[in-house]
Amino acid sequence: MASRASRYARYLPEQKLEVSLFPFLSIFLSVMGVLSFINILSSIHSPQKIEMATELEQGYKVAFQMFSLPDGIIIVPPVKRLKDLQQVVTDADVRDEIATIIVQREQFIANVKAYKGNLDDFAVAPDVDHIADLLKEIRFINEEALKHNFLYEEFILFGIYPNGGKAYHKVRDVMALSEDAASISIGLEPLDANWTLNINGTPTLDAGQQGAQ
Amino acid sequence: MKQFINVDSLTDIVSNSVGILIILAVVSLIHDNSKAYQLEIPIEHQSELSPVFIIAKDDSLIVLDTDKIFTNAAMQATDGAAGGKRIFPLDYGQLFGQIDDDHGIMFHAQDIEGSEDWHHFSTLEKNNSGLQQQLNKIDPKKQFAYFFVYDEVGESNISGSGFESFRKTREYLKMRYIKSGWKPVDSDNPASICDVSFSPLCKYLPSYLGSS
Repeated sequence: MASRASRYARYLPEQKLEVSLFPFLSIFLSVMGVLSFINILSSIHSPQKIEMATELEQGYKVAFQMFSLPDGIIIVPPVKRLKDLQQVVTDADVRDEIATIIVQREQFIANVKAYKGNLDDFAVAPDVDHIADLLKEIRFINEEALKHNFLYEEFILFGIYPNGGKAYHKVRDVMALSEDAASISIGLEPLDANWTLNINGTPTLDAGQQGAQ
Repeated sequence: MKQFINVDSLTDIVSNSVGILIILAVVSLIHDNSKAYQLEIPIEHQSELSPVFIIAKDDSLIVLDTDKIFTNAAMQATDGAAGGKRIFPLDYGQLFGQIDDDHGIMFHAQDIEGSEDWHHFSTLEKNNSGLQQQLNKIDPKKQFAYFFVYDEVGESNISGSGFESFRKTREYLKMRYIKSGWKPVDSDNPASICDVSFSPLCKYLPSYLGSS
């Protein structure tokens, strides 16, 4: 009998909460529309920001990157595999010289990483003596790698930003007259203004190297 | 007659959909801003291939007909118009020429609009377009494409005026096994053709990956 009563109770007219469909659909469609609009706007007006890696290799060839900007060049030297070369070098003097180069390169990268401002501030007008020293350094490393039968060769990879051609031409002018540059391979790629360098991906100055310094 | 509906399921759907959309929007924004890109690293190689010169500017390209250009330049030089580093019209693609001891013949591309010799890079997608026909003439066994790419940029742009057209054309040529090389140019360092005996800078080399 109880079940019959409860069945009866189920069909009793109850006070249902009833609401119009219109305001909910209106809110729903408005939010969808606004979000789609924002999505379309962001895809049109903020083109993809691309981060580039700092250590680049192609087989045994390792990129010594030079980013050419309107205000000058930013140098991003490779370090990772240079440490491997240092390990196989038998001559103590050469090993010390490579250690010094590694420390200098890591120090430079550490400075760039520590800098909180715009990376473009690190762009310096290409200086003839500085470029000549870099070319000498790359040649020295490549020759030592060859001497020790170690598969490692640094080449210069230019990343050309818009309006960065002038700095590039200055560097190439120095290279054209340098004997050290004759054996160094070169690559170059055009870069868009919103392609940034992911400097945080680079190795930092480790305690062992600092001690050696 | 008004139609009524139970509120629970509807609010459920609305809140779920809105939540998912917000999450998607946030995730896509974060994802887009941190895309890592590995630079392509083509390296310049010495080559027996001969260059076919192309200028890329303002999203357009011109394939230089060197025979025609040198003939026109020689005529101007004979007439004395090319003396004293004077800039003279080349009667080709609205280009102007200038002869210099260090750079050989230099090409100044100023107002290229309306010239039939310049092709917008988007015409590469059209079958048998003028640009395609000219590029298809390059013999990959004997020649490679060498681009002079304008790196100057407009105010609202993020790319050099010739970068996009160069990238697209290089991709097209790569599919046809044609090698390519390039260098940036601007109004102060214009495109130039000279012999390596003039200057070590007069080298036009193809760039490609070691494995290519």
